[in-house]
Amino acid sequence: MKKQRYIIGYLLFLIGGVMVSSAGYASAKAETMQKPAAAIPATTANTKKAKSNSTADHSKFKELDKNFNSGPEVTKACLTCHTEAAKQVHATKHWTWEFINPATKRKLGKKNVINNFCTSTKTNETFCSACHVGYGWKDDKFDFTEEAAVDCLACHDTTKSYKKIPGLSGHPNYKKMEWPPHSGKFRPATDLKKIAQNVGQTSRDTCGGCHFYGGGGDAVKHGDLDSSLKQPGKYLDVHMDAKGLNFSCGKCHLSDSHEVSGSRYAPTSIDKKGAIMRGKAGERNPTTCVACHDNAPHKEYAKLNDHTDKIACQTCHIPEFARGPRETKMTWDWSTAGKLDEKGHPIKINSSSGAVAYDSKKGDFTYDRVVIPEYKWFNGEVKFTLFGDKVDGSDIVKINDMMGGPDDPNALIWPFKVFRGKQPYDVGNQTLAVFHTAGKDEAAFWGNFDWEKSMKAGMASTGVEYSGKMAFVETEMSWPITHMVAPKEDALTCAQCHKENGRLSKVAGIYQPGTNSTPILDMLGSIVAWLTLLGVIIHGGIRVIQSRKGA
Amino acid sequence: MKIILGFIAGIALVVVITLMYAADLMVNEYESPFGVEETAARVQANIQSLEHRGWKLSALRNPAKAVAAGGTNVLPVLLVEACSTTYSAPLLKDDKTKIVSLLMPCTITVYKKDDGKTYIGTMNSGLVGRVFGKKVGDIMAEVAKDQQVFINMDPSKPAPPLIRTGPGGGGGKGGAVDAGC
Amino acid sequence: MERIYIFKRFERFWHWSQALLIMFMLLSGFEVHGSFTLFGFENAVAYHTISAWMIITLWIFAVFWTFTTGEWKQYIPSMEKVDAMIKYYITGIFTNAPHPFKQTRLSKHNPLQKLAYIFVLVVINPIIWFSGWAYLFYNDLAVVGLQGLPLEWIAYVHVIGAYMMLVFFIAHVYLGTAGHTPTSHIKAMITGWEETD
Repeated sequence: MKKQRYIIGYLLFLIGGVMVSSAGYASAKAETMQKPAAAIPATTANTKKAKSNSTADHSKFKELDKNFNSGPEVTKACLTCHTEAAKQVHATKHWTWEFINPATKRKLGKKNVINNFCTSTKTNETFCSACHVGYGWKDDKFDFTEEAAVDCLACHDTTKSYKKIPGLSGHPNYKKMEWPPHSGKFRPATDLKKIAQNVGQTSRDTCGGCHFYGGGGDAVKHGDLDSSLKQPGKYLDVHMDAKGLNFSCGKCHLSDSHEVSGSRYAPTSIDKKGAIMRGKAGERNPTTCVACHDNAPHKEYAKLNDHTDKIACQTCHIPEFARGPRETKMTWDWSTAGKLDEKGHPIKINSSSGAVAYDSKKGDFTYDRVVIPEYKWFNGEVKFTLFGDKVDGSDIVKINDMMGGPDDPNALIWPFKVFRGKQPYDVGNQTLAVFHTAGKDEAAFWGNFDWEKSMKAGMASTGVEYSGKMAFVETEMSWPITHMVAPKEDALTCAQCHKENGRLSKVAGIYQPGTNSTPILDMLGSIVAWLTLLGVIIHGGIRVIQSRKGA
Repeated sequence: MKIILGFIAGIALVVVITLMYAADLMVNEYESPFGVEETAARVQANIQSLEHRGWKLSALRNPAKAVAAGGTNVLPVLLVEACSTTYSAPLLKDDKTKIVSLLMPCTITVYKKDDGKTYIGTMNSGLVGRVFGKKVGDIMAEVAKDQQVFINMDPSKPAPPLIRTGPGGGGGKGGAVDAGC
Repeated sequence: MERIYIFKRFERFWHWSQALLIMFMLLSGFEVHGSFTLFGFENAVAYHTISAWMIITLWIFAVFWTFTTGEWKQYIPSMEKVDAMIKYYITGIFTNAPHPFKQTRLSKHNPLQKLAYIFVLVVINPIIWFSGWAYLFYNDLAVVGLQGLPLEWIAYVHVIGAYMMLVFFIAHVYLGTAGHTPTSHIKAMITGWEETD
């Protein structure tokens, strides 16, 4: 009797053991992560007018106590104290719009690449330079050595009243003007004195002034950057949460000498070297997740750390992009642009949500929100299809191709927004086209809707004569997703990948348990197991029958 | 004895199977070729096309918004609510069937799943109605017919604007639908 | 009718806890593999890992016990009377023929049993254990010089082991009813006392 109790007791202990340990596991999982980041005071970039911690009150400077007539005048005043600032800015991508790929030596940057949104800045500078940190870039004669042409205010305004208007070649409006065009709304003249006297550090508003509106409108281009990040809730971005950590952009994009870290032309796809100690000199990118969180950040469930050799943090921690209220553009078909109504006027058609679904100037668009990313291997190298690279219309053109694969030790699986479109290419020259869109001249497509004139003017700016024959080619552009980091409770769950047709089912070269990916083995194993069971049942059956006969 | 036991076992089996599939029987789910907002807008337009059968939109709800306010993410969900006095009036008049007002207004749910696709969910009004007896059953059978019109996604028609009214819908004030039921 | 005390207290405790753990690990393991959904992937992984450590602990005790008590000799295989056993299972068992093997305290496993257990010990268990550890510590395989070993291979081997264990389990449970009487082995495994002729 005593023995039996012993056995039962042990069995209970065993079951209890499993339950207790699994419960412990579950509760550890639920516990909130220790936040090393929380210790960093959320100071500077608070978009609410916080008390400045600066040692200088610019409103007390007599250099700034005057009525400025233009942006360059303000810059000159800035440079009287900040003597080296313009030279520093001149060295940055924000100024040059040019980036030499260190691996391929090919010239990238806004000045050179052709994307599948508005395609090219060439010949459209008066509009595009609304996002250039300079004044006066309207054609290829712009002087990139002019110090007074640097726009300090675009990044250092704190009043939220400074706005560079497309069409003014990088200037804000110095006079009252109607904006947006034909809206009946008017912007007052920019109060340069007030803005200059209130300059401060960059903020989500100043960075976002351009980066949230890339591609020609709010949320259009990136998918993980839009104006909802100016005052985001925790659900949208756990670091930038306006009521929580309240990070500015610069908190991660650490800057030095006006050079801002983090790049889409030469991104850091992997960093195996752990967190960066403060003050430690080095060439490593401080903008990565690893730079703060280390390579093994999962304390409560260590198995997750085993994923970091193959999977970028972003893949699980940004389960969807464009999670705010704004829709991001998903496709852009230029081939339908130019349709006019009976009176010859351009038309616009709205989508169900009220976004522009068709615009005579630009063609057809589709949008989406809370978008599930596409996943691809990526080792940090991006291969662009530049002007002059062969395009013959036979294949989908990859505007930028992400390099890396499963056997590449520097590649991780990253989430991407893949932006698809159709855009003009020059059939004779076999290249993506540069075509002229914006401007008041005769050739601008947005005024005349004449592809031939637009192509001729655009191609001429590149030094290549238009062949006379254009067509549309399908293009794809990939945008690594890295912003809008969700709270950890919203990270992908195991089963979102570890199941049949899970999130990563289209990624080659990985074995994922739980995806039913060994069909032949399973078939053979099941056959043997079922045959054993069948044999046992037959054997037992005969025994039962025989014993009945015997009885 | 054996017969009775067999009979009981049979009943038990039926009960178990019914319970297993009850949830699936009560609701229907359909895949939509459009995004969440456009699908919801098309459902709204379909509802409005049945005005002659008394249908009116009563609200558009966005439960995902409330979840986001709590600091968490869920994939988009929109609840299109509509009501028809043609069907509600007789049910609301009769004390015996008043309680069925719990099922009002008629809700069509539109949501995105982890596969990125949009789905439309409806209550299986025909079946649910029958549970409440003949009168409710007959009326709900009519509702079920109309529901099939609500969920009709016709790509040849242009995308209608989403009518954002009612609690959580955000946007417009009153406007197109202030009545409902 | 004779009764002999065959399975000591620790042996029974070992057997039944191992039985529970193996059943549980088959269940959780095949869920991790993707064969069905029961606990949910995340929980299945956690349960499977916890049970693995429990069975390892159990085995440390079992190995110690087996060697200190000299019971390890019970597992030395021999081919003697194997043919008689096979014949018994194919024909004799149906005709109430006498069992060709007589259990004693010094020899409690019949020759087929010994073969089966040694097969589990030297084939199935090593396959499962080593592939299981490789699975669990996949990212640290460099420590033992196995970096670059594809996870897919490890998983394949582990799943092959799991199917072998499943087959053993089915056969073992059934043959548990093939004693002197259908329940005599099972009773013995619970109480320790086996009825023999």
